[in-house]
Amino acid sequence: MSPSVDNLQRCGLKVFFAPGAEPDVRAFIPIFHRWIQTSAVDGLLIDVADYTHLTDGPAVLLAGHEGNYAIDRTEGRPGLYYYRKQPAAGALVDRLALIGRTLLAAAVRLESDAASEGCRFRGNEVQFVANDRLLAPPAPATVAALRPDLTAFLRTLFRDDAEDVPEPTEMRDRIRLSLRSRRGASLSELLERL
Amino acid sequence: MTWKQQLADSMPAELAAEIETFESQIALRSQGKIDEKVFAETRLRRGVYGQRYDNGRRNDGTGTRPLAYPADRMTKGPETVWDAPGMVRIKIPFGGLNPDQMDTLADLAEEYSDEVCHITTRQDVQLHFVHIDDTPDLMRRLAAVGITTREACGNTVRNVTACPLAGVCRDETFDVTPHAHACMRFLLGHPDSQDFGRKFKVAFSGCGEHACGLVSMHDLGLVAATRTVDGQLRRGFVTYVGGGLGAVPHQAKLLDEFLPEEELLPLAQAIARVFARLGEKKNRARARIKFLVAQLGLDEFKRLVLEERAKLADDPRWRAHLAAAATYGEQPLKPAAALNGGAVPAGCADWMRTNVYRQRQAGYAVATVTLPLGDLSARQMRELAAIARRYVGDTVRTTVEQNIVLRWVSEADLPDLYRDLAAAGLGESGAGTLSDVTACPGTDTCKLGIASSRGLAAELRARSSTPDGRPHDAVAGLRIKTSGCFNSCGQHHVADLGFYGVSRTVDGYTVPHFQVVLGGQWTANAGAYGLAIGAVPSKRIPEAVQRITEKFVAERQPDETFQAFTRRVGKRALKEMLTDLMQVPSHAERPEFYSDWGDPREFTLGDMGVGECAGEVVSLTEFDLAAAEAQVFEAQLELEDGRPEEADRLAYDGMLLAARGLIKTELVDISDDPDRIVAEFRARFFDTKLFFDKYAGGKFAMYLFRRHEAAPRQQTPERARQLVEEAQLFLEASHACQARLAAGETGAAAQQVPAR
Repeated sequence: MSPSVDNLQRCGLKVFFAPGAEPDVRAFIPIFHRWIQTSAVDGLLIDVADYTHLTDGPAVLLAGHEGNYAIDRTEGRPGLYYYRKQPAAGALVDRLALIGRTLLAAAVRLESDAASEGCRFRGNEVQFVANDRLLAPPAPATVAALRPDLTAFLRTLFRDDAEDVPEPTEMRDRIRLSLRSRRGASLSELLERL
Repeated sequence: MTWKQQLADSMPAELAAEIETFESQIALRSQGKIDEKVFAETRLRRGVYGQRYDNGRRNDGTGTRPLAYPADRMTKGPETVWDAPGMVRIKIPFGGLNPDQMDTLADLAEEYSDEVCHITTRQDVQLHFVHIDDTPDLMRRLAAVGITTREACGNTVRNVTACPLAGVCRDETFDVTPHAHACMRFLLGHPDSQDFGRKFKVAFSGCGEHACGLVSMHDLGLVAATRTVDGQLRRGFVTYVGGGLGAVPHQAKLLDEFLPEEELLPLAQAIARVFARLGEKKNRARARIKFLVAQLGLDEFKRLVLEERAKLADDPRWRAHLAAAATYGEQPLKPAAALNGGAVPAGCADWMRTNVYRQRQAGYAVATVTLPLGDLSARQMRELAAIARRYVGDTVRTTVEQNIVLRWVSEADLPDLYRDLAAAGLGESGAGTLSDVTACPGTDTCKLGIASSRGLAAELRARSSTPDGRPHDAVAGLRIKTSGCFNSCGQHHVADLGFYGVSRTVDGYTVPHFQVVLGGQWTANAGAYGLAIGAVPSKRIPEAVQRITEKFVAERQPDETFQAFTRRVGKRALKEMLTDLMQVPSHAERPEFYSDWGDPREFTLGDMGVGECAGEVVSLTEFDLAAAEAQVFEAQLELEDGRPEEADRLAYDGMLLAARGLIKTELVDISDDPDRIVAEFRARFFDTKLFFDKYAGGKFAMYLFRRHEAAPRQQTPERARQLVEEAQLFLEASHACQARLAAGETGAAAQQVPAR
């Protein structure tokens, strides 16, 4: 394990909307404001940023202190993205589990929110994003160093149904890896496993 | 490994040392060893700015709640919590960017910000939601690609802007790029520019006709000019000084009809020295150089500057750039080639009509990348960098209309370029049209924002961009600009249709409104400013835009411009056209009027129940405020009709009426005597700070006091215009004061007011 990668704190996870269950992104603005009012999800929640005019990246951002939540449209694949900004305790695999719990709890809440226009997330893919080019530069060596922790996280999340951690398709951007399972599970089940 | 170690060999030594110092100052402040006000100005001079809610409080729509940051006792400035995210402003001199810099901006947006890059109305890039602990590394990574945030904020020389077409424009006198660059380098950190009372903005333009440089609204504006001397063609600048928008806009004054290029930097230095020595330092509201020029008079100001210039010891840096400037030019990445007439992708023809400008150099074009509200995602910025590498290389610039231009596109590449931009979500047409709305951050992130300028801009964009709602050709080229408050960061004064955020109190609720400002002139370097027509509820602004533009389409005369149209029709008629839209339906009837665009929270500071007694007093106050509004509006009409004396009197009367209205909340029997009104107002609202704006302090009250104490002996249209603008702001402050009184904030706000 590279000591640099072991110290990686800035990273995130994303779940994708199920086909046909992608609501108008504007629906999330009042939901996120309500989440601030009721402290509905983990972390200190600060404000909601409306980027619905953008066709890529965050469409609606729920800015927090420890991390940000976003309805994200990067690469034309809309979903819910949570990325950590402040350091958390524990080994990398523990921090991944923390981020996973935070993300999935928010996603489950969205699925059950009547105002979310029936949004559903796919339970067979979680995308990992390494958001630190110093500790995790986009390079094959970084992926190799990350692989053990990602594999452990993947096995916890998807158990025997997990596919192998894939090779990245391109290295120009940050490291982004799709962690998949063959059959998938409901988000509630995935949350329980973490 | 740290970024400091990793980039040690990539950063210019001077920048590396400055960042090191700043990092030490952060550490010292975190230990309480630097005064918070001193640290605040220090970080501002490094481009590290505050952001909304950084006082650790936020109204979530049900009430004001604390934001419980971990380090809630540490501050990075007065009322600014350490852990609260802030904004970093990144200076991009003359808007010039290369792909490596764009990649870095994208990386920084992802790692430290919210994955969005924002282009400002002064060609800067802003990142929001940045933690102060991350700023030293952010600066190091910028320094490694040749960018500094130094003096992007604070009382300094801000970003030096220039026409984004400089060097490729068909009409320019010469390319001002090397001069803008030299001016930036010379003034950055210069000892003579470190002791200003307020910021100082410089702009360059290649010609006097177009808008690109916006020279007339800058502290120092320079327009390229040539003159034949002893048979030789000499380069120089028509030089203007003392322009500015802000709360009270001033047109820049002509300082020199032809300043030889070798005199540019020494004259800038001399102006800086005069400004530092004689400019206002205590009263921030009067501290811009425009006030110094007005106070001294242009002739005296010029005399002082020339006297200072004569005293300056020679500095070789004044001329170091001139030889290179004479031969300066960008190298195109690809050879010139004309369009071959082949098929183009769907949407390309529309895009080429609005977003492509044929360069002076045959076979090349400038392509504008339309950015909605000045935003692009980090990934889009990286994609755009890749596109730039493919088509144009290092010839990218940001614009004051919050877009990005790619220069030196070989014309034959335009269809492929469009295809690539569209694939990245950057192929939107309509640059420089009605749908390309400019907006400052407003209530989204700015601490001073009153109403949601970005929310309104997004709504106006959406309505003018729908396929069925294509605007008429006559209005397609009009500019809409929105600001969240009177400070004009959205440049609403120079728009055809400008809007700035204000509020009104209706039945105890605060309702977001926008002042409608019509007939500003964008061309001729922002040649004229519009005047306020009246405040319209935020939710009715789109309807107001529709009415105004439809009236223009229906009633304009052949070849009549929008500015000429508004002058001909007159503001009285324009206001009458909007009168019904100025009414606010009750909360029970239309609750959506009590929220702002893009924000479902109720637009209020809390539960604002109003008792019967207070209600009656408030009604008297509102009556006077409404009368005051009418007086100020009449003043505008008089000004428009060329009667500055009458405009002055009406504006003054309007302020007196508004002040009297406020006094009635405490003393119903106040007389009409101006001396008595001013004395009572001073005692009850100024000395108690009840009238004070949280950020501007008592500056709006000073407008009334100054006019009351000294009526101008000789009235001029400019003086009268200034008083009318001041009266408008006094009115807004009166409305705000009334709202605070209705909310029961009797003195609480005053306790938080900075002493100015």
